[in-house]
Amino acid sequence: MTFKKVYSLGLIFLLGILLVVTFMNFNQNNFNNNYDLSEYYINQGVQDTKSINLVTAILFDYRGFDTLGEATVIFIAALIISLLTKRSTSSLVYNNFSPLVYQNISFIVPFLYIFGFYLIFYGHLSPGGGFAGGVVIATIFVLLTITFGVRRTREEDVLRAKSLLENLGMAGFVIIGLLGMVSGYNFLANGQAGFYLGEAGKLISAGTIPWLNLMTGIKVGASLSIIFNCLVREVE
Amino acid sequence: MLAVQIVIAILFILGIYTILNRKNVIKIIMGINIMEASLILFLIQLSYKDGGTAPILDKEYELIVDPLPQALALTAIVIGASTTAVMLFLAIKLYKEYGTLDISEIRRLRG
Repeated sequence: MTFKKVYSLGLIFLLGILLVVTFMNFNQNNFNNNYDLSEYYINQGVQDTKSINLVTAILFDYRGFDTLGEATVIFIAALIISLLTKRSTSSLVYNNFSPLVYQNISFIVPFLYIFGFYLIFYGHLSPGGGFAGGVVIATIFVLLTITFGVRRTREEDVLRAKSLLENLGMAGFVIIGLLGMVSGYNFLANGQAGFYLGEAGKLISAGTIPWLNLMTGIKVGASLSIIFNCLVREVE
Repeated sequence: MLAVQIVIAILFILGIYTILNRKNVIKIIMGINIMEASLILFLIQLSYKDGGTAPILDKEYELIVDPLPQALALTAIVIGASTTAVMLFLAIKLYKEYGTLDISEIRRLRG
């Protein structure tokens, strides 16, 4: 045990004690019941947005601009990775599984699509939303690549289609936000711009929230599968 | 409640210890992810209420947990996933360039 190791251990131990003391302060002041903003969201959220899932209401209505920034982060991550990958064609190690694996994967793929799109379209009614649904759709491509190998899926064309979809999702999000400005209100305005909100709890309701969910889902699915493709290509 | 908070503190300092004392790049990335997990656990713990259900106001809800920290946790998860992807990609590049993942051996800049 060198001096450096003991020193860092001591510092980290002190940090742990500090964290626990801070948490105990939290408990004593009873922070949990005094959030005015949360109270407002719980009491007024459904009337303002007609979305019964409050997390979706916060993400895509009250704080839609933050979600745009979040989508930009994934976009930039995919951009960095795909720019730094070499364009040379390299093939994944082609695994030979038993026929059972191919049959099972072919069987399961349509259900995974249905599950992903269900999560996206019912994002304002049940747990889920654009991000979770997009991840489920990205896992389909991961499964297909792992089982059938890279060559089977005509790599370049698929990658071009995926980047087109990613751009579509990003541009769609911004265009839906600009609709609010065109009608004379803020960027990403929903209820106050007079869009059709419908009845809370129905599938077609909540104004722009389902469309924003759809755009986010397309974008996240395309971005994550691009990231996976590039990582696989880099590993060879 | 205090037990959960102690777990959060332990996870956090475990992550920092891993980042400071490990030499392998992959293990450093794992440490960053452990810290991030403790942060998400902290956000979820902030919103916890006894007997609360998920913040979905359907017909038969009684008491729901606070929705705001959950939205923030979703943001943290998404950003953590994308930064992890970039970090792993850079680790692959480092391994290809130097043939090792040990940060004490990666010293010289090679063009």
